[in-house]
Amino acid sequence: MDILYQVFIDPFVQMVELPDFFLQVLWEGFVSGVLYALIALGFVLIFKASGVFNFAQGIMVVFAALSLVGLYALGLPAYVALIATVGIMGILAYTVERTIFHHLVNQPDIILLMATIGLTYFLVGFGEFVFGGDPKVMITEELGLPTGSTAFDVLGGLVILQHIDIAAAVIAIIMVACLAVFFNKTRIGRALRAVADDHQAALSVGISLDQIWMIVWFAAGIVALATGIMWGARSDVSFALEIIAFKALPVLILGGFTSIPGAIVGGLIIGIGEKLGEIYWGPLVGGGIESWLAYVIALVFLLFRPQGLFGEKIIERV
Amino acid sequence: MSVMEAGTPAAGIRGAAATSAETAARETLLSVENITLSFGGVHAIRNVSFEIAKGEIRAIIGPNGAGKTSMLNVINGFYHPQEGLISFRGQERRRMKPYEAANQGIARTFQNVALFRGMTTLDNIMAGRTLKMHRGFFWQCLHWGPALKEEVEHRHKVEEIIDFLEIQAIRKTPVGRLPYGLQKRVELARALAMEPDLLLLDEPMAGMNLEEKEDMSRFILDVNQQLGTTIALIEHDIGVVMDLSDRVVVLDHGEKIADGMPADVQANKAVIEAYLGVEH
Amino acid sequence: MFYREAGQFKTTYEADQAIFPILQDRMGIAVIMVLALVIPLFATDFVLASIMIPFLIFALATVGLNVLTGYAGQLSLGTGAFMGVGAYACYKLTTIFPDMNIVVMVLLSGIFSAGIGIVFGLPSLRIKGLYLAVTTLAAQFFLEWCFIRIPWLYNYNNSGAIEVPERTGFGGMVLAGPASPPITRYYVVLAIVVAITFLVKNVIRGRIGRTWMMIRDMDIAAELMGVRPLFAKLSAFAVSSYICGVAGAMLVFFWLGAAEPSSFSITVSFQILFMAILGGLGSLIGCFYGAAFIWILPVLLRTLLPSMGLDIASETVEHVSRMVIGALIIFFLIVEPHGLARLWQIGKEKLRVWPFPYA
Repeated sequence: MDILYQVFIDPFVQMVELPDFFLQVLWEGFVSGVLYALIALGFVLIFKASGVFNFAQGIMVVFAALSLVGLYALGLPAYVALIATVGIMGILAYTVERTIFHHLVNQPDIILLMATIGLTYFLVGFGEFVFGGDPKVMITEELGLPTGSTAFDVLGGLVILQHIDIAAAVIAIIMVACLAVFFNKTRIGRALRAVADDHQAALSVGISLDQIWMIVWFAAGIVALATGIMWGARSDVSFALEIIAFKALPVLILGGFTSIPGAIVGGLIIGIGEKLGEIYWGPLVGGGIESWLAYVIALVFLLFRPQGLFGEKIIERV
Repeated sequence: MSVMEAGTPAAGIRGAAATSAETAARETLLSVENITLSFGGVHAIRNVSFEIAKGEIRAIIGPNGAGKTSMLNVINGFYHPQEGLISFRGQERRRMKPYEAANQGIARTFQNVALFRGMTTLDNIMAGRTLKMHRGFFWQCLHWGPALKEEVEHRHKVEEIIDFLEIQAIRKTPVGRLPYGLQKRVELARALAMEPDLLLLDEPMAGMNLEEKEDMSRFILDVNQQLGTTIALIEHDIGVVMDLSDRVVVLDHGEKIADGMPADVQANKAVIEAYLGVEH
Repeated sequence: MFYREAGQFKTTYEADQAIFPILQDRMGIAVIMVLALVIPLFATDFVLASIMIPFLIFALATVGLNVLTGYAGQLSLGTGAFMGVGAYACYKLTTIFPDMNIVVMVLLSGIFSAGIGIVFGLPSLRIKGLYLAVTTLAAQFFLEWCFIRIPWLYNYNNSGAIEVPERTGFGGMVLAGPASPPITRYYVVLAIVVAITFLVKNVIRGRIGRTWMMIRDMDIAAELMGVRPLFAKLSAFAVSSYICGVAGAMLVFFWLGAAEPSSFSITVSFQILFMAILGGLGSLIGCFYGAAFIWILPVLLRTLLPSMGLDIASETVEHVSRMVIGALIIFFLIVEPHGLARLWQIGKEKLRVWPFPYA
């Protein structure tokens, strides 16, 4: 009985007793949720437009952040470094398309996935080779991003909001809005969806795969850069960031692989669920459950809705 | 209309086929009663009933989207109808898993070839023997003694089917490399390897040229007559249907609009309207 | 040329269904087996301990993954964790029964990972493809967490690591532990790997293997032909996890000598996945090619680059070898998406019809 109490009652009692702390936890969860959502967004972009599950998104985040910091360290002004990094992501998109995906048109999904894993390996090696393996500090202030924090008096306690987190949320919202318009309102957006459905059919109606893929990889690169800056501002810029790429998978599972709103909602659910779980239920089993809770949440969702939150019901045909 | 009328061998054989009186006297193998199937709000099949007699070739025809393939899916347990009853060999059943239907002796081929593309022709047909093989994991590991004996026994059976359908030359070829017509034939072979009581053929001749159609018609008749297998056949080529089948069911928009001997169905006003459109 | 099957007639189906129906193949495999037995007598301990033993162990893990992903078509990213289950199970078993033959313990420990594999395979009945990857990722991270958080698993060691005690077998031979000579360990590993690979080959060419491939190629058709997805998928999970478990136990007991949870991290899962893909999904011989490629190439790079007189920091070598492997993976995917095994097969087919370009 005691264990049942600890699992089903006690955490909620704690939440009600210390509402300010609860709000703080919610906010923390929300912020990491936003960052998960940003990473997932990069995945969704490429998946939606080419059917490739881009495993390299995580390393692209690291790579973009490292380039930015590295260029700044070379003496470029912060904003010039930022623009130059955008340029680097463009070159990366071009190179990736030319050397890899141009040759893999019409291959099964698993092969494309593997190619991005190969790319991940290459970029990890390349990044370490160029920038070294040490963690770096993100140039948050130099980029004009707000630092510091504001404390609010809520419910008889303090809730502290970091300015950078608020900025992250705002930037994420703007990016999502831009992407939604891009996908739904432009000619290229329609072409993207066509390519994702069937390479050959898209080619046959005159859509240039090369062009489309370059565009999405570039867009994903920019999303990666934004993610890298936000994430780097909260911790260090290091290759350890790469592990967060795995967190994108449960997010995508929840939201569906092709849904931009899905990525956001999924990211928030995972971010908040993970934090709540860790703080309120984690101590029961010795803590550290953040490492796997996201996957279990996604798994439970999947068992009830195999098509994800925003996916359509699958009718199997033969 | 099809060339099948032009006195092909298939048509000749059918000339000696069972009369309607004979068919009526045969025992019923499968009957579907008042089947209704819908996906969300879309009705795929509405209140359809018919039965298939033992030993006959029963055609199911109708325009595209009439619910023919859905009907087959219902029969072999892949879709579960919201209403209605199916009885096979006198046994009623409700929700049945596809593998249970297979176990009872229902085999089928698919409209879009559904071969196991990563396997050779031989393996595909051996796959049809899965239900007939029983050696457990231990012997499988050793692949020796009883397991080897079983494997070879079934290989003999499979080789008979390979001879029957004349596909000896492609025995060891991965099916992905075969031309379409041969893939269809391998699929038939795979279904036959299950030694079914009821064989469901979903457009076995779609996309075939004349020669391939003739071959396939020949094989279907041979299967029916030499092996005594009951066949339910979906086909768009009316000529083929008229020549091959004993009785025909016509579906349109998920409803049954006619059922009877090929000649009667051909003259049926509702059928003609469904195919040619109605004058208003 | 010399690789021809002209004149080799089969008069029974038994002969036709043999693993190596062609005489030249049988001779080839015999030569390889003799080499595998003889070479260690001349090889240094370094070659045995850092190249041959890990190569064989990784090849076996790849065989395990290939059963699941290559033959049954269920993508798994949890190989590392399943290997870990085998390793920890073996550690506990040998703690409880210190006098038992360690080889028996290693083989038994696979049963535990098979059980865990079945549990994590259950969602595969409802979830397919990439969605299934999340299940195996859950397994990966959850099991890794267990290796850290359940002190009982590592006998409450302060370090949180497991260390291989000295263990014997076959009449007092020291098979595991710091004092065991690499050559003994090599032969033990070789025997286990060859035996398990042989058994897996048998399963794959029989009924059970066919049901796996049916599920992989066209699950709906398979079901309509009487395959029960529950049994087919879970048996694949069980067999695969068993093999991975044995490989994991060997990894610790016959190679590393000690291990901590990070020895079975997601990196290992990916390494094994690369080996399977590069070698060729759905090919057993490919597992060995893949493992050789991914394991031996970096070792060669690490030893060769400095010895060529280039004065490079060891980190740099590490980075460069990563880049090279990444680039090679992409290169092979572009040249032949079906892996080294397919290249090998194409090569053999060309030889068979030589001097004609095709037949």
